[in-house]
Amino acid sequence: MPSKVGGITADAATFKAMEAGSAQRRRGRSRPEVGHLAPLALSAGVGLLLCAVANALSRATLTPAMPFYWGGILLLAVPIFYRLTSEDASARERLTLVCMLGLSLYLVKVFRDAPLFTFSDELVHSFNANQIADHHHLFRGNPILTATPYYPGLEGAASALMKLTGVSAYGAGLILIGAARLVLVASLFLLFERVSGSARVAGLGVAIYAGNFNFLFWGAQFSYESLALPLLLLALMALAERGEAPREALRAWGAPVLLAMMAIVVTHHLTSYAMAGLLVALSLAYWHVRRSWDPPNPWPLAIFGILLAGFWLFVVASATVGYLSPVLGDAFSAIGNTIGGSDEPRALFQGGGSSVAPTPLLARAVALAAVGLLLAGLPFGLMVLWRRHMREPFALLFGIAAVGFFATLALRLAPAAWETANRAGEFLFIGLAFVLACACVEALRRWPRDRRARPLIAAGIALVLVGGAISGWPWDSQLARPLRASAAAGTISSPSLSLAQWAEGLPGGRFAASTADAGLLLDPGGKMALAGSSPDVEDVLEEEGLADWMVPLLRRNRIRYVAVDRREVGSDSLRGYYFSRRDRDEELLPPSVVSKFDQVPGISRAYANGPITVFDLGAGR
Amino acid sequence: MRRHGDLEAAVAAAALCALLSLVLPFEPLRMLLAAPLCLFLPGYAITAAIFAARPIQRRQFLLLSVGLSLAVLALGAIALNYVPGGIRSGSWALLLFLVVLGCSRGAALRRPARARGPISWAPARPNGAQAALLAGGALALVAAIVLAFTPLSATNATGFTEMWISPLAGDNGVRVGVGSAERDASSYRLVVNFGGEREVTRRLDLEPGGRQVLALGESRATSSLVPVPVTATLYKEGSRKPDRPFRQVTTWLGPGGGSG
Repeated sequence: MPSKVGGITADAATFKAMEAGSAQRRRGRSRPEVGHLAPLALSAGVGLLLCAVANALSRATLTPAMPFYWGGILLLAVPIFYRLTSEDASARERLTLVCMLGLSLYLVKVFRDAPLFTFSDELVHSFNANQIADHHHLFRGNPILTATPYYPGLEGAASALMKLTGVSAYGAGLILIGAARLVLVASLFLLFERVSGSARVAGLGVAIYAGNFNFLFWGAQFSYESLALPLLLLALMALAERGEAPREALRAWGAPVLLAMMAIVVTHHLTSYAMAGLLVALSLAYWHVRRSWDPPNPWPLAIFGILLAGFWLFVVASATVGYLSPVLGDAFSAIGNTIGGSDEPRALFQGGGSSVAPTPLLARAVALAAVGLLLAGLPFGLMVLWRRHMREPFALLFGIAAVGFFATLALRLAPAAWETANRAGEFLFIGLAFVLACACVEALRRWPRDRRARPLIAAGIALVLVGGAISGWPWDSQLARPLRASAAAGTISSPSLSLAQWAEGLPGGRFAASTADAGLLLDPGGKMALAGSSPDVEDVLEEEGLADWMVPLLRRNRIRYVAVDRREVGSDSLRGYYFSRRDRDEELLPPSVVSKFDQVPGISRAYANGPITVFDLGAGR
Repeated sequence: MRRHGDLEAAVAAAALCALLSLVLPFEPLRMLLAAPLCLFLPGYAITAAIFAARPIQRRQFLLLSVGLSLAVLALGAIALNYVPGGIRSGSWALLLFLVVLGCSRGAALRRPARARGPISWAPARPNGAQAALLAGGALALVAAIVLAFTPLSATNATGFTEMWISPLAGDNGVRVGVGSAERDASSYRLVVNFGGEREVTRRLDLEPGGRQVLALGESRATSSLVPVPVTATLYKEGSRKPDRPFRQVTTWLGPGGGSG
């Protein structure tokens, strides 16, 4: 049975660790023990090397490298999971292990993309960071995601490293997101530990959280949510400490919460709304548990959060309303349409069109098994939560979030609701990870002598990790593709990157381009590039004939250069940046999508590289 | 300020990092100095000020040091946006130093005189076997990083040739560039036609990854009253159809030409 120490419940493992720590402190000159960290560091290093080899093979367009890749991920993660299940690891060791896990999995993403950003959002944010560094001010425009310059927290932070060191947005972003990842896992650990009173629950909770669909790739990109989410967790950790602190320390713990809240509001819209919602829910949970609005009930912070997020939205970043309303509106209507039967449900594991290889059956099975395992563990976790932690407002919230996570899985079946569900899932998984970690520790307590318990739990978490990675990122894009390659006389770049490098040398001029080309034109090209359907650049580039409205639309938007990409994959923001492969067929748009521009009087073909042709509409013409 | 070694060290480190990251010429060295200034010291000083009179666990202190530093960076850019000169290296260095100085001062005033710093550094001492394992892990990590950042030959990548054209300053000619991203060494014939009246031919041999830029003069365009069209056509020798244009780019010289 857990005991109450200092206002929190603690299990035997935590007690032991706390006592060991106290004894060490009493002896003075305490030194952290290396213990199991050394072999685990070796396995993580070798696992990462395997992942780098897999990505290198994939970039070199050589043999299928997937076994190396998954082998590497398992080698770096499973020993850590196994150690986290043990009873004798100290809280310090567990914290070190989750930090190692978080950073190692972050490096898996870094190795996939080095030495350039290749996620569409990353290119948008690195363009913003370069704009700040070049022009010394915030809130400059972004042609692709117009709301992003109004949430400059990430790019502003990157500008500090860029200006002080001279590194590129890529270098600054890499370090910044690495630091944010460290804050995320450490905050989550301390939050879970405070709520559960058990370092064992905390360690396993973070390990399970690493299996959320976005942890490996999407959440590790240089994008505003990758900074805002760790700050949110930092705020929650401080709130949890505040909840257990003596009355005279409430203010002290409130200060970091306020600072983190302000930073979240200027960094990411959705996270700031999630923060406000969480604070409201937490206030209600405090009231439900303690029947009191007195401190530490965080209702004043909730009101402050709502006011702050509202102020930023309506006074500074009103463009966000136009950006988010269609996304959320479409999501709601898609849910209705899918339930009503007027829209087909979205197929799971769907790729990016007919040219994209489908996800193998085994991978689908692993992903579905992972979700099944999460679902199977939920009732047990909720029971433990009910029995042991129902007097904890945070635990109550985690329980609700855990159930809510499965509701978002249902939303994934509605085509336009997928993105909303994906974003919400990342937040709700926090609760699910806690609930399942409680279930795991309960099982370990119940069967302490069963030798199968620890390996089974470690294997289960590994399944959740791999399944989450498969569910969260397309199978064909797990590994690197060739963006640059070595050649006899130096390094060669893919057609899209070559275009961007050529554009970088131009003195100015705005571009119209397909989605992938526009991304690289933003960074490293450093050019304003419009893409997509608003304005309707997409049709200007892809239609076979030149319609009357096209040139006036280009002139109205002050477009000087039109980059026409015949590759269909050019409009794919995930796969369009890379070299085509000789051993695979490539779908091309008809030649007339290019030749139609020859009819425009005074136009010139400024650049051609085979698939991509750039027309110059002229500076003054 | 009362004597608080950790706070004095934080202020001194911030001053040193700020100053040296501004003046040193080498990026990696500047990064080594700027990283603590950006990612640790501001948060350390703020946390020290907040918890000057309250106990806090070391790991919480460390976490808040990094986390609040990130918050300071996110919020600092907003503040710098409205100061004269805006967001520059000097203003960042000054802001971060002032945050560290101000909060350290606040912490020193509030902290009990005999209180020890919140963080004591006692690095782990691994035994021989542990050191070997740690070194092995570090070595594997370094190898992985090197491999990830090294461009490799992409055997099955489809090669291509790029070509571009732009008018020279003053419209007295054009600059034509050809770059090879082909898999093998390639030979090309470049034909540049100026208004249908003059034609210049050049032969180019390029290794994969090689590029060549030619400046070709055309004095007639500067005196012409109408724009002169210029067409550069590239033929790839050794291909199946060597007489078929492989790439073509165009521009205009003279009134209303491209350089305008």
